[in-house]
Amino acid sequence: MDRRTFVKRTCVGAALFLGGMDALAYDDEVKIPPPPPIDVREAPLAKRSPLGMPGLYPGRVVELSDHRSIAGNRVSQPIVRQMLERGMRELTGESSARAAWAKFVEPKDVVGIKINPSGAPACCSSPELVREIINAVQSAGVPARNIVVYDRFGYEMDMGGYQVLMPPGIRVLGVQDDRLDASGYDAEIYCQADFFGEWETRSYMASVVARQVDKIINVPTLKDHSASGVTGCLKNVGYGTFNNVARSHRAPFSFTNPLIGVMCSVEPLRSKTVLNIMDGTRMVWHGGPLTQNQSFIYQAGILLVSTDPVATDTIELDLIEKKRQTEGAPSVWERNPKSITSNNGEFYQDANKNLFYRQPGHIAVAGKLGLGESDLKKIDHRQLLMG
Amino acid sequence: MGHAAAGQYEGRWARSTAYRATLARSLASAHRWFHSFRARFAWLHLGKLHAIDVETGREKWNFAAPKQIYSTPSRFQEKVLFGCDDGKVYAVHQDSGTKLWEASTGGEVWASPVVRQGTAYFGSADGHLYAADARTGKLRWKQALGGRVYSTAYAAERSIYVGCGDGHAHSLNAATGKMQWSVLTGNGIDSSPALVGGTLLFGSEDFFVYALDANSGAVLWKYETGLGISSSPAVADDVAYIGSKDGFLYALAVKTGELKWKTRAGEVITAPPVFSEGVVYVQSWGTLALDAATGKLLWRAGPGGSVQGAPVIAEGVVYVAGNGGEVYALE
Repeated sequence: MDRRTFVKRTCVGAALFLGGMDALAYDDEVKIPPPPPIDVREAPLAKRSPLGMPGLYPGRVVELSDHRSIAGNRVSQPIVRQMLERGMRELTGESSARAAWAKFVEPKDVVGIKINPSGAPACCSSPELVREIINAVQSAGVPARNIVVYDRFGYEMDMGGYQVLMPPGIRVLGVQDDRLDASGYDAEIYCQADFFGEWETRSYMASVVARQVDKIINVPTLKDHSASGVTGCLKNVGYGTFNNVARSHRAPFSFTNPLIGVMCSVEPLRSKTVLNIMDGTRMVWHGGPLTQNQSFIYQAGILLVSTDPVATDTIELDLIEKKRQTEGAPSVWERNPKSITSNNGEFYQDANKNLFYRQPGHIAVAGKLGLGESDLKKIDHRQLLMG
Repeated sequence: MGHAAAGQYEGRWARSTAYRATLARSLASAHRWFHSFRARFAWLHLGKLHAIDVETGREKWNFAAPKQIYSTPSRFQEKVLFGCDDGKVYAVHQDSGTKLWEASTGGEVWASPVVRQGTAYFGSADGHLYAADARTGKLRWKQALGGRVYSTAYAAERSIYVGCGDGHAHSLNAATGKMQWSVLTGNGIDSSPALVGGTLLFGSEDFFVYALDANSGAVLWKYETGLGISSSPAVADDVAYIGSKDGFLYALAVKTGELKWKTRAGEVITAPPVFSEGVVYVQSWGTLALDAATGKLLWRAGPGGSVQGAPVIAEGVVYVAGNGGEVYALE
């Protein structure tokens, strides 16, 4: 019998949502409905881990840029290794990458590496980067059998080739193989809200997060998102941990704000997520998260390393906004009804069209929940040009 | 039952196995024994191995495995062999599904067991290639490779050829498992090799199709596609057909690597194509039939939407598996 007790709290959805709208310039014609309250049932912790979000270095983001990291759409593992080592040293102030990694993982830990395979094969967490992270975790003394590369959807991981491309001895786990499989989730930890009158109003936490891993290394991609504006650290680890999340957006409206931030605040996810390594070798500036259209995928050649998911996503949002501006595409904050289409084909071909009124305000909401720094001016953004 | 966008097809039967996506991958190369032995049943799976009557679509029997089954079944005498996520290869009787033997490895077995001269060869995610007595399952040898082995081996008379997740293509002595040669590509190999004359063909996640001298491992030619390759080549009349994750199906001359044609079949191709009587079939969110000489689309069928399985073609019927757990038989 599980003797754990659980706590239940209510996040006032509308208040959080409005708090995340400070930067919005709304079109008066668009009435965005307020989100409902979100009930959270979570595992109690005696003490929140200091390693958990926003982690050991709140507000600090190391951006590494090396054009050699991707060429002809192929990621260079040796160059990525150099970038990762340099980034970890810069983030922690340690003189060696091994010492830097030892700040986050211990030999006794079971370490989960949360990848983002959605969008594979065109844009997903690079297997080359994931292999280097595995090497680094092992350098800190964690045995291969205690490393789990995981995501919610096994078929998306298969599309990215992770099962084949990871080293032997590492566990490669897809929590579910179709959208209705709930066997890999913990019935005791969930977020509950009725967004659109859906029949199932709960989203449960993946068991691998709730019960199996001690630490999580979050490896999102640098990508826009048709509903949430961007999909970065927060969405990868939040929506990538709970099931039944697609119900939060029904065209043209999206309640990814505030649900993404709320999910990231749920224990033990918050305490276990100790490090974020955003793969920006490719940047999807339109059509995310699933596009295969190379016209919207820019070979940016960067990595972002941070313990603070909010600060990292704030930088990501800024990068995508600048790229969209360069390409003549509207801001992800746009609320013009003329930009909305219900035609997926049109969305995937035209950067002026979108399926939802995007909600990048989820990043600021996560900041208000204490998960990190969302004020661009207050972020310690360290940019390192390596090649 | 689906739609015909170009040309036509006609539905014969459809069966739901009530299981999920891995069905498609398992069907991938069942045609190898289907053609050879004129079997009456199609063996399918997912956590279960299903034997389905090809005339009616009715299930004859099923075998419940402890975990999911991604491996394509193969046949040896009265046995059906397949790998499982529990790290074992199982042999069951073709008429009843009764388990005859099992052989253990240290990782998931997604590759199809290949039988040659009484020995079953199969790779495992534990990084080894195994050779076992196909009659009893008793281990004959195992050889450590550098990465996970999801590629289905090609068993020639004296040599075994297989790709590896660390990017190497290997040739091993079939009797002893001793390494004969290894060639490193630029990324992992999921693709299963084909041997034509003395030429070994396969794709790599480094975007290239490779042709190697089977005796020495020397690279005869390589052809660059737009993204990684996990599809496997089908060969007919000195032409190799293979898909790429860039969405194109390529037809390449076996001797030179010259591009005969390429046709965009979808956004992504990971499934192996199948050749039959001048037509190339491939799955990419549906089933496509293309003229093998020109690459022209003959018909496209919607059922299933599978992206990983290969159609099985026998006696004028095309069998396809869908991600929803259905199996279709199309005229």
